Parts: sequence; C-alpha cells; structure tokens
Amino acid sequence: MAEEENAKPPSSKNILIASAIALIVAVMVLFTAILPAEFGRDPLGTGELLGLNALGLDENPFEEQLEVHRSDYVEFILEPFQSVEYKYLMDLDASMIFSWVADGELYYDMHAEPAGLGEEYAESYEQGEGNSRMGSFHAPFAGIHGWFWENRSLNTVVIELYSSGFYQTSTVFRDGGDYERPIIPITEY
Amino acid sequence: MLVRRPLFKKLLAGLLFLLGSLVSISAFGHTIEGSDASFVEAIDGPAIFPFMYLGAKHMVSGYDHLLFLVGVIFFLYRPKHVIQYVTLFAVGHSITLLLGVLADLQVNAYLIDAIIGLSIVYKAFENIDGFKYVVKFQPNTKIAVFVFGLFHGLGLATKLQEFDLSDNGLVTNIISFNIGVEIGQILALSFVFIVLSLWRTSRSYLRHSFATNTALMAGGFMLAGYQMSAYLLQSPF
Repeated sequence: MAEEENAKPPSSKNILIASAIALIVAVMVLFTAILPAEFGRDPLGTGELLGLNALGLDENPFEEQLEVHRSDYVEFILEPFQSVEYKYLMDLDASMIFSWVADGELYYDMHAEPAGLGEEYAESYEQGEGNSRMGSFHAPFAGIHGWFWENRSLNTVVIELYSSGFYQTSTVFRDGGDYERPIIPITEY
Repeated sequence: MLVRRPLFKKLLAGLLFLLGSLVSISAFGHTIEGSDASFVEAIDGPAIFPFMYLGAKHMVSGYDHLLFLVGVIFFLYRPKHVIQYVTLFAVGHSITLLLGVLADLQVNAYLIDAIIGLSIVYKAFENIDGFKYVVKFQPNTKIAVFVFGLFHGLGLATKLQEFDLSDNGLVTNIISFNIGVEIGQILALSFVFIVLSLWRTSRSYLRHSFATNTALMAGGFMLAGYQMSAYLLQSPF
C-alpha cells in the first residue's frame, strides 16, 4: 500500500527483524509487567521488584471492622399522614443487614446524608411503597444512613425494624424534632 | 533527502512511543463495567439512547478496535478510501454483533479478543510490506478488513452476552448498541484521521511509518498475549 510514496522499500530482512522485535518486546512486557499486574503471576520476579504485584490482587470479600457489631429493634406507630425518619450513624465501608415489616402500606425512601454536609448532599438509594423491605447495606461514605417512612393511608400503621450492623448510634427524626438512641454492642469487648 | 538512521533506533523510538501510550491505559481488559454493567442487567424493555451511548463509549474507549483502525487507515490518504475500508469493517462487525447476540452464539470472549489483537498484528505487518516482500503474497486488503470486522463484531457480541439481557426489547437494544458503535467509531476515526493527516504533512511521517507500524504490531502482540493469559490463567467465575 505504501509503494507510491515510499522510495526505498524495506528489505525483507528488516521486516523480519522488526516483526521479531515487536514480538519480543510484547512478550517481555507481558512477562515483566502484565502478568504480575493483571493476573498475580510473577514468573521473573519483576512484579515484586517493581511493586506491580499489589495491582493483581483480587478484592478480598472479607472486610475487617474494629468494633463489635450492634443489633437493633425499633417500633414506630404512624397515624394517618404521619412520618418518621430513622438513621444510623455509620463509617465509610460499614455494613448492616435489615428487615422492616409494617402492618399496612407505607411510602419509604432509603437514603443517606454525608457526615457534616447536611440534607442538600443527601443521596437516595430507593423509594417506593410497600409493607416490607429486606436488604443489606454497605455505607459508601461516613454519615447517617436510614429510612424515611410516611403513612399515606387513613389507617394507623405499626412498623417494626430489625437490624444488625457496624453502626454506632441511631437518630429518630419525628414531629419536627430529633433525638438520639444509643445502641449497645452485642457483647463487651 | 530522508535521513537514514539505523533501523534499531527507529524501532526504539516507535516502541517507546507506544509503551508511553500504553502506560496511560490502566486496565487492558476492555469490558462494560461498574454502573454501566448494573444498568445493562437491570434494563427490561427498549432503551435506545442508553444502549447507543454504551456502544459509542465502548468504541471510543476501545483501544483494541482503535489500534486496528489506525493500522487500516495508516496508508489511506483519501477520505473516499477511508470510507470504503471503514464501511467494510462496520458491515463486518455489525453482522456478527447482531447474529452473535440474537442467535446466542457462544464464543469465548478471551479467544476472540486475542484474535482481535492478532488482527492488529496482521494489519501492521501488511503496512510494513511484510506480505509483499517476506511472504511474497498479498492477500486482498479489503477482504481482510471485512473478515477481521467479523471477528471484532463477535468481540462486541461477547461483551453484551456477559449480561443477562432481557428478551424484551432485545433487537432494539442491540441495534441501538450497534448504531452507537458506529457513531463512536466515526468520532474516534475523525480524530485519528485528523492527527494522521497533520502528521502526514511532515516529512517524518514516512520516515517513521515503519517504526510506528512495528510499534503497532508490538501493541497487537501485547493485547493478544494479555487475552491469552486471561484465557489460560483466570478463574472462570
């Protein structure tokens, strides 16, 4: 394709040398860098030498926490058109599991506010209407994480929340005020 | 007059250039990831623009497809020829993308991606006149681009097949993805063509074309080696 412009055609020896160099360089990069960094294999010890091995580590499903976890049970009675907000104080990467069940339909909004930034930075994870939700939650940032429930029916609804997790305290926001609920760790440590 | 420099110096310059550009690429594995992935799985029904966006994004960020196209248009000076070859490539990959997903062809993504890497090697070897002077037989360049287009399309199909795609709106979504791929390809190609055209006005273009294509070839070997390693070493889950 290059024949018109290229005055000096490459010799077939040069073409072969170039191709061989391309292959050798690729194999060298593969063995010295790509295998350690991407696959955790270090056949030549270069991954260790260059500090590339750390890149090849798979994400560990185990995540260490420094405190004993806590368990919580809470019940709210919501009269027609009343609402309540209940949130846990959690650090970055803290997890919890939860189930809440109500004896009537509620509007819910699971959301979080980053620590110290307030409502305008709130992030909502799911909203909907229903009698129950079960799930697990992994805090994407430090802050308060929880639910807003609203009874939009004409009947009184009782809601029960069960949860366990690496949270510290919880806060109830209700009727224009808020109060903190301490939750004790499940065992002494 | 062209300055004649020793072969190895030219090669070194080209390879350093390529290595430099590879360093900036953090991950070799080119798949649909993160929030895009969860979006694709959650979708149920036609979603034209999201899939178009994903197709375009896949192409613009897909250095395997892009390196191949750099090789294809490297010696194409006239837009008419660029359009001819790129259309052949697009027709090729559209066929296998659509067929692959719709007929649920099960091909190994790593092996296909390794072949895509080798398609870059092939094109670079062709560009340094390897077929003309070493093999002494030049396969039809248009057919080659079309055939490699078929493989690139299979690669695109495997990326979509990694997900549990809902049958609801599947055809619309694949066609949208395909259109997105073409849009992304036009965007990326315009950029590559402009850069190559600018470079062509300088004398260094032909002088470095041999080294550049050798570097391209090394890049193709690397991608193929990376994908073969993944095929051989990575756990299946």
